[in-house]
Amino acid sequence: MNMLKRYLTFAACSMVISSASFAQVKVGVIQGLSGPPAIVDFGESYLQGIRLALKDHEASGAKVKIELQVYDDEANPQRAVALAQRLIQSDKVPVAIGTVSSGNVLAMAPVFQKANIPLVAGPSIATQITAQFIGEKPSFIFRCSMVEKFQIDGMLDWGVKKFKRIGLIHSTTGYGNFAAKEIQDGIKTRGSSLALVEAAAPGVNDLTPQMVKMRDAGVELILNFHESFELVYRPMAKVNYRPVVAGNWGLSSMKVMEIVGREAIEGTVMGQALDMSQPRSKTFDERMRKEFGGAYRWPVLAALGYDAGQIVFKAVERVGKADPIAIRNAIESMDSLQAVSATPAKPFSPSDHECLDKEHVFLGVWKGGAVVKLMD
Amino acid sequence: MQLTISGLTMGSIYALVAMGLYIAHLTTHRVNFGQGDYMMVAGFLVLGLGRLGLHAILSVLVSICMLGLMGYFLERVAIRPLDRFKRISVGAYGWILTTAGLALIAQNSVELVWGKSAQYSPPLFSSKRDQMVTIFGARFLLEELIVIIVAMTVVACFLWLIKKSRWGKAIQVVAFNPETAELLGINTKSVKIFAFVVASVLAGVAGVLIGPIVTLQPHMGLVFTIKALIVATVGGFSNPVGILIGGFLFGICEAYSNYFDSQFGDLYPLLIALGMVALRPSGIFSERSDDVR
Repeated sequence: MNMLKRYLTFAACSMVISSASFAQVKVGVIQGLSGPPAIVDFGESYLQGIRLALKDHEASGAKVKIELQVYDDEANPQRAVALAQRLIQSDKVPVAIGTVSSGNVLAMAPVFQKANIPLVAGPSIATQITAQFIGEKPSFIFRCSMVEKFQIDGMLDWGVKKFKRIGLIHSTTGYGNFAAKEIQDGIKTRGSSLALVEAAAPGVNDLTPQMVKMRDAGVELILNFHESFELVYRPMAKVNYRPVVAGNWGLSSMKVMEIVGREAIEGTVMGQALDMSQPRSKTFDERMRKEFGGAYRWPVLAALGYDAGQIVFKAVERVGKADPIAIRNAIESMDSLQAVSATPAKPFSPSDHECLDKEHVFLGVWKGGAVVKLMD
Repeated sequence: MQLTISGLTMGSIYALVAMGLYIAHLTTHRVNFGQGDYMMVAGFLVLGLGRLGLHAILSVLVSICMLGLMGYFLERVAIRPLDRFKRISVGAYGWILTTAGLALIAQNSVELVWGKSAQYSPPLFSSKRDQMVTIFGARFLLEELIVIIVAMTVVACFLWLIKKSRWGKAIQVVAFNPETAELLGINTKSVKIFAFVVASVLAGVAGVLIGPIVTLQPHMGLVFTIKALIVATVGGFSNPVGILIGGFLFGICEAYSNYFDSQFGDLYPLLIALGMVALRPSGIFSERSDDVR
């Protein structure tokens, strides 16, 4: 009996000691992992980056053990809100990351803000995501992703200088219409105008009619803001028309190159936040290839996912427990971050909750089967 | 001219899918709500077999045979077992759920094997991407020309099958009255299976042809099923030639409406189809006589 008592006391003490030295914190992740192919590519690539960041966090000898609770929002705003509530109420996460669709983030962000749980949004792109919460003291909404306005500004500054006739093809989704408005406003403020604006529904298979019109209007640069990035390229050979294409950072996906071909995508310009000429980016790229093989297809997305993961895991490690307010403060005051993307060492401040600011976003171009920094 | 060719190409695909709906409906008064998804499966099968190193012709043949088997399976699993409930008002429409359910299984199976991303399917009949053909000064893809030719050939074969062959005559008798067909010694079960096998093979032909001209993705089928239903309704659910012409008209209308107003490009063909159905509910090419079935 005495032996049994001793054994139980020893086991209880061991459990207390081990739980004290290795605290466990759940981190919620909501991503678009099913639905339209473009959404899935964004969601899976960003999640790959988060997973590699977690692997590195564990390898660094972290004291806090992190468990990812991953949910798929299926690109559905109602589901995103339900999952946000589930993460907060059932899983009791102190911090969350996600998601692809800006509409979903805008729907679920108020839930996190109200519950005082920090959310690092990404890879959503709509300009106003953090701006609409920054006035709240404190704001719990951060973002580690491209910002639509920054990439559009970069593209228009370059496009207006180099091309006389610029056209726009956008989707009729909320995202496409929103991007179209930003582009039309942006080009107007630069004293220019679009030669032609064409739209297409999200499920279309063929853009031949739109491309025939672009050709006939003499458009030299097409701004491509349709979620099916490849559609613009497919009719080019048959309508005998090879304009320059620039657009959403989605055009940097290797999947797009695989579908449209290396020759067709050569010279395509897009918003970027990962400079592959940097040794750190190259090492990251090699590690991602090794880790995920053929499933790795989008360096910039994975890099931003990696940085979002790094920020959250470092903040959790600094706090050492599941305390949402302390984690929020640790995220905001984060410094000396060694980011893979163009995210600076100190990404946030009380008045800025974006990883990337205008000066960190640059234009990339497809050259010889890879996306490099556009020089001119 | 390019818009017309583009419209004819997509219209041919709609017509091939619609033809499958037609033959299944003619024989059993049921349609496969996953007809577009069967087309998608064929596209992915050709792609997968090609990646495994199979010759293009062989991968096309194997894919079409696989689709034939899927048609057999569909009739045995999703259609025939429900016949015993056909006198119950709700049970009579159970096939809508079972065929749509099999379509969902097909989508998810494709996702499991090929992933959720869009896929590029290389051309089958040309050695390189974007092989162009120039006719009367208009350039178009060789694959597009083949799609149109195949669709017209299939309709010709179909007409022969329905009007001249023994199987076609058996189908017509079963369509007229299954009990009478049984009395005449026709094996109605085999005829029904045959109809679904042919319907799936047609979806297979459409899938094989469409792969190289669009981007394949696991959820592409539903749009094609809906458009094929529209084409079959506009063309007349009892006339293969009408379905082909309906497909061409719908495809051309879609291409031109996107040219004139791309913001609502998909809306106008649907409105026109709606108008046509309102004016001629049995389709523009159907017979005026009453259906005596």
